[in-house]
Amino acid sequence: MAEAEAIRLCQEGSPDAFRHLVERHQNTLYGTAVLMTGDRSVAEEHVQEAFLSAWRGIRRFRRDRPFKPWVVRILVNRIVSSRRRNRVPTAPLDDAERVTGPADVLESAMSAERRDEVQAALGRLSPRHHQVVVLRYFAELSVSEVAAALGVREGTVKSRLSRALSRLREELTQTCDTEARR
Amino acid sequence: MSSNNPDDREMERRLRDYFAAHSRELRAPAYTWARLERRMYDEPKRGRFGGNVWRVWAAALGTAATAAVAIVIVTFMVGLPASDPSSMMMGDESGFVPESMEGSARVQARPTRAPAASQMASDAFGPTPARPLPAPTAAPAPMVMAEPTPAPAAAPTAVPRVMAAAQPTPAPAAAPTVQPQAVTRAQPSAAPTPAPAASAMLPYATAAPAPATQSQARAASEPPTAPAPRPGATTFADFARQPAVLASEDAVSTFSLDVDRTSYFLALEWARAGYGVEPDSVRAEEWLNAFDYGYRPPSDEWGFGVQTDLVQHPLDPGKLLARIGFQAPHLPDDRPLNVTLVLDASGSMANGNRVAIARAAAEAIHHSLRPQDRIAVVHFTTDVVGHLTVPHVSPDFGGVSESIANLMPRESTNVQAGLNEGVRLADQARRERPDAYNYVILMSDGVANVDATDPFGILESAYDRDAANPLRLITIGVGIENYNDYLLEQLAQHGNGWYRYLDNVDQARATFSRENWLALSTPFADQTRAQVTWDPNLVYSWRIVGYENRVTPDETFAEDRKEFAEIYSGAATTVLYELVLRSDAPPARGGRAYLGRVELRWIVPDTQQSRSQRADVTGREDVPFGRGADPMLRLAAIVGLAADRYGALPRVSAEGHYAIRDDLDRLGKHLDALRSDLGHLDAYHDFSYLLERVTESVQARPPRPSGYSN
Repeated sequence: MAEAEAIRLCQEGSPDAFRHLVERHQNTLYGTAVLMTGDRSVAEEHVQEAFLSAWRGIRRFRRDRPFKPWVVRILVNRIVSSRRRNRVPTAPLDDAERVTGPADVLESAMSAERRDEVQAALGRLSPRHHQVVVLRYFAELSVSEVAAALGVREGTVKSRLSRALSRLREELTQTCDTEARR
Repeated sequence: MSSNNPDDREMERRLRDYFAAHSRELRAPAYTWARLERRMYDEPKRGRFGGNVWRVWAAALGTAATAAVAIVIVTFMVGLPASDPSSMMMGDESGFVPESMEGSARVQARPTRAPAASQMASDAFGPTPARPLPAPTAAPAPMVMAEPTPAPAAAPTAVPRVMAAAQPTPAPAAAPTVQPQAVTRAQPSAAPTPAPAASAMLPYATAAPAPATQSQARAASEPPTAPAPRPGATTFADFARQPAVLASEDAVSTFSLDVDRTSYFLALEWARAGYGVEPDSVRAEEWLNAFDYGYRPPSDEWGFGVQTDLVQHPLDPGKLLARIGFQAPHLPDDRPLNVTLVLDASGSMANGNRVAIARAAAEAIHHSLRPQDRIAVVHFTTDVVGHLTVPHVSPDFGGVSESIANLMPRESTNVQAGLNEGVRLADQARRERPDAYNYVILMSDGVANVDATDPFGILESAYDRDAANPLRLITIGVGIENYNDYLLEQLAQHGNGWYRYLDNVDQARATFSRENWLALSTPFADQTRAQVTWDPNLVYSWRIVGYENRVTPDETFAEDRKEFAEIYSGAATTVLYELVLRSDAPPARGGRAYLGRVELRWIVPDTQQSRSQRADVTGREDVPFGRGADPMLRLAAIVGLAADRYGALPRVSAEGHYAIRDDLDRLGKHLDALRSDLGHLDAYHDFSYLLERVTESVQARPPRPSGYSN
């Protein structure tokens, strides 16, 4: 089912069509929420609430717009405002428990060691830089969509991304140097 | 942003690699939609009227409800026949006329977003007006075929094949499905006493609750001539029935295995007690699992024994039935156990003999433990009953029996608090004895009413973070009236465990005899799922019978997920498919058709390693459904199809209703034909009795008007 068609049916009250949208985007939302909150149960709740908000507001949604940036924006707003209320610190992925057991194989070209380095470096980013990195490279939003999701200008996103990337690079270079000195 | 800076581009690539490598860990839980869907139901409550107005309305309705209940009680005490449940319903003061007198509280509605009636109103006044019903659909369903099938002429011996170009008949308009909802009806004042259980077990599957024999059941309660009401306040989840799928569009069927059989024993118990069997409570896979089909055990402990058979469809000569049976090996039970009993001591447990059953089951488990095991006991009501808590101790410690004997019903039900404490103790025991298996056993009627009351909310709060040596949540249901099947089933499914229903003390003792308990508490495979891939050159369409809440998207097969089944030592489970073969398929080699492959995946509990196993789905396609076919295969087909058809009852048009009635009638005749082969088994007579009762109830129940023009 095409997304615009699914949105049209949702606007007519079809939960089936909404299920289609949810199943298409749930992994993006959940992953984004886990990366931003560091806690799976909190992330799950945010995702539930974000989808519920989307269901409530779908009648007002413009069909010619993509659904993902909209619902990601709802999610991010929830997480940010909840963080303001509760002062929940961001945590790197490592702090979230692994759902998969040691038997599962993360088949990737990257070695586990290199993944850990990236993970550690991401964990040391400031929340603002961490957010833009997650939205841009995990949720695969465009710069303008990230800007819309965070309620900032595109220029701000670009500069945060640029700083985040250079910060990550520095972190990873330092790690390599430290390893080399050992 | 795609940077021009090569360093940035390299960094972007590394980030994308990093996220891709973690994509599996970042996938949403499989139950995301199921949970969301339930929450969408509640939307109108706070939607149109706003929270405060809603609360005012709820309070007003609550007051009215109390008044109505009081009037009913007074009326009742003044002289209405005490044993007539329908009198109670007629005495309903709401002015709301129940949809029918047979106790079906279901109100079908198109999935609109109209505001729902107050749940409190529903509790007090019986059936609620149309409730918005998001209709869950099965995973990829390119095509829906007419089900159930029309009555055919006598089955020929050769299977006619459809023309490949022919389109399947469209299904009757897919009706919306009913979602889990608590439904409270006026209670019969004198519920019939359940029949005592017999000791004979065969051919029920290993460790199955021992049912009463047919004669005992009949003696306990003569069936009503009209459908009886369902027990009060029972809660089930209805999951949409599986559609038929064209193999050319989607040849892959993925599902979690299931070794539960509660739905069958619950139905049998209701039928014996004179109640109608609620179609929403029927899970065909659990009916199938109730019987022991005598599958061959595997030759070693590495994997499952897989047996596949084909037989002509007993209701439709144009179809085949494929049965795939999975048999786990019998493992040595030498690993120590940490067992945490979590006992529901709430007021609702005072109904009938629930407390006695729970005590008997708890004591039976206690006595089945060995010196190397440890046991803890937690009682909960509105909160944990601290002075009765026993932390993990050796089974011979006297305080355990004392605590179990002190199980007394009082106050409300806070399942969340009980499980939280149980999980805390179990986690502590796990850390102290990392080589032990860990079982948390919840005994309850599932009527949670304090704090989290839905399974996901409860599991969230009692979340177990150790995937390597998980806590295994076993749920034991007791009671007929006021029983929450949905909560207990889902807790077990998502809690790495299994679910049983006990209806009497003897059955509790038999289920947890030492031999059964040791098998039940020795896991063979965790997170077990299966994927069947049909050969689209041979199979025109396929349809899985049952497994509505176990079917999972194909891509999840590669993932290890908690909600996939835990299979214990010696357990067997069965899946049936209805198949239509292609007319242009090449003839079978040597009489055996190879129609597809089944792959199993699971986690080995000891080593936490993933394992997979494959087998062909094969059999003779020319075996008629008659004396030439294996009697246990025929029994499986009749059991599975009866459950499948009866469970579909709420969603069919008047035509479908009559087709189901005919199908059940014909299945009854097929079952009669098995009497000479299986008539010596109690399980045969029990099922025969149950099938008669459900067939009668369909015959007596008028078809549901669809509201559509023809």
